[in-house]
Amino acid sequence: MTREGSRGLWRSGWLWAALTLVVLVIYPQLVSRYYIVLSTEVVILALLATSYNLIFGYAGLVSFGHAAFFGLGAYGMGLLTKNYGFPMLGGLVAAPLVAAAFAFVIGWFCMRTIRLYFSLLSLAFAQLLYVIVYQWTSFTGGSDGLQGVPRPELLSSHSSYYYFALGATVLCMLVMWFIVNSPFGWSLRAIRENTQRSQFLGINDRFYKIIAFTIAGAFAGVAGGLYSQFQKWADPELLFWTTSANPVLMSILGGMFSFVGPSVGAVVFVALREIIKVRTDYWPLVLGAVLLTLVLTVPDGIVGFLVGKARPLLLGKKAETPGS
Amino acid sequence: MGGGTDAISVITWDIGTIILLILAGLTRAAILFVVASGLTLVFGVLRVINMAHGSLYMIGAFVAASVIQKVAGSGGYWLALVAAPLAVAMIGAIIELGVLRRIYQAEHVVQLLATYALILIFDDVVKFIWGAEYKSVSVPATFAGALSIGGRPFPVYNLFVTVWAITLAIGLWMLIYRTGLGRLIRAAVDDAETLEALGVNIPLIFSAVFVIGAFLAGLGGVLVAPLGSVGLGMDVTILIEAFVVAVIGGLGSFPGALLGAVIIGLMFSFGITVAPDMAMAFIFLAMVIVLIIRPWGLFGEPER
Repeated sequence: MTREGSRGLWRSGWLWAALTLVVLVIYPQLVSRYYIVLSTEVVILALLATSYNLIFGYAGLVSFGHAAFFGLGAYGMGLLTKNYGFPMLGGLVAAPLVAAAFAFVIGWFCMRTIRLYFSLLSLAFAQLLYVIVYQWTSFTGGSDGLQGVPRPELLSSHSSYYYFALGATVLCMLVMWFIVNSPFGWSLRAIRENTQRSQFLGINDRFYKIIAFTIAGAFAGVAGGLYSQFQKWADPELLFWTTSANPVLMSILGGMFSFVGPSVGAVVFVALREIIKVRTDYWPLVLGAVLLTLVLTVPDGIVGFLVGKARPLLLGKKAETPGS
Repeated sequence: MGGGTDAISVITWDIGTIILLILAGLTRAAILFVVASGLTLVFGVLRVINMAHGSLYMIGAFVAASVIQKVAGSGGYWLALVAAPLAVAMIGAIIELGVLRRIYQAEHVVQLLATYALILIFDDVVKFIWGAEYKSVSVPATFAGALSIGGRPFPVYNLFVTVWAITLAIGLWMLIYRTGLGRLIRAAVDDAETLEALGVNIPLIFSAVFVIGAFLAGLGGVLVAPLGSVGLGMDVTILIEAFVVAVIGGLGSFPGALLGAVIIGLMFSFGITVAPDMAMAFIFLAMVIVLIIRPWGLFGEPER
């Protein structure tokens, strides 16, 4: 791929992004409240899934504890605005910082282990936080959840909150896009591709991974903060390991090799859920069947990525369509 | 899993209380060992974490509840003790042949997601067959009643469960260290490729191990059924607990599962008595600490 060629595609990537944004801004004017509420959820989940893909797709780390940071953001936002009188925007900045602080510490410990044990340790930390949130009733509301997360008057309508969540998500996506296309982002890919070689190049792989984990935790925290304000409620379930599975699923559904893949996955996930749920109570069954079919029929995509067979191909692809 | 801790209302720290807490902890450890040994055996040989292990346990409990309800008297329990694990073992065979066999070469994330998908599927299948309400299973008449320990009652059935698990542990040890199949299993844990090159039918060994693992999950379900109510959600609860046990002991290590189960069982019974709210947190903290210090667990080996 020549320099000019990749730049052309780079531009068309921005064109697509702009078009998508125009659609996302206009269409809520044309649809019912139900779709606006649903779209708000999709936007927030897309942010969550994209934050997860920073470590999953770009750094090649399979964390099973991402829900912890989503939940910490949600509870952070709720507690700060409800009990400590933080303004909304202050809460939305502070809550991700709380999540990021936890992510830094957890990441620091998790990076001592590799592969399966990394997944297990991230899961164990998330479950520990879940149990604490669940049991610490006087502080978090325990199993009843944190009720009455405030939302300012200005954002009380469904469509205004949709636009707010969309704005926040777009802003975060832009920042994440610049991160993955910065020298830091390319170093992460280098570590994923060949840790040893990147070490020879002087990259401190453990430090880079911890920072990536922290950044992913921070953006998951933004998503959590938006979510608890959107629901006006935070639930311990937000930190539970089944919630951690969702961003993994969305990344795989949409494709973890591209920046927008996880967002597409979030759309597909929610659309599928809504379509199934009006017809049957057995949504998990259908989700399970879809997931099983997916991993049984196209495991090569995932495997190729992690094992390294399809590396050169994927690297090439990524260079072609960074912004789309 | 009620264990036996509910027998205690007011804590006075005398010898009787401590013995009672130890017995209660061992009952819990017994269930945890039965389930976690299956999980760890499957991981040791197949190198797959079977997330659906808890679902198999839940199915075992539901089948047992149905059998005990249909067949009157203690006979129902004894029938369930044989039939339910066998039924679950058959389901295990189907899973191994239909799903796992295709993804042994895949990355861990694929295996985790595939077996996670099975959790979702089995959860709904159980809901479809048995409904969402809880089922209560009475303790078989043979083991009804309670012993008096330090002036406090301790259910006979709990003791039976503990004894059963100890017998099972000895049986499994004999199977693994004293039989031909056990020798092949140990060889497969060490180096499946070389074993295959020597002409051993590895896929058959894998199937056998997974079926044994499923059998153990089903057995755990039967044993636990009279201890508490049988209901949806018990799959995830046990999965996480068994997982903690297996990880602390070392994934793939059979003695590790035993030690892990005893540690966690005792932590539960003492933890719930001392600080009811934080008992679970202590347990995850224990897992986190073990994983940080020895990521491969107390008895495990570093990942190859």
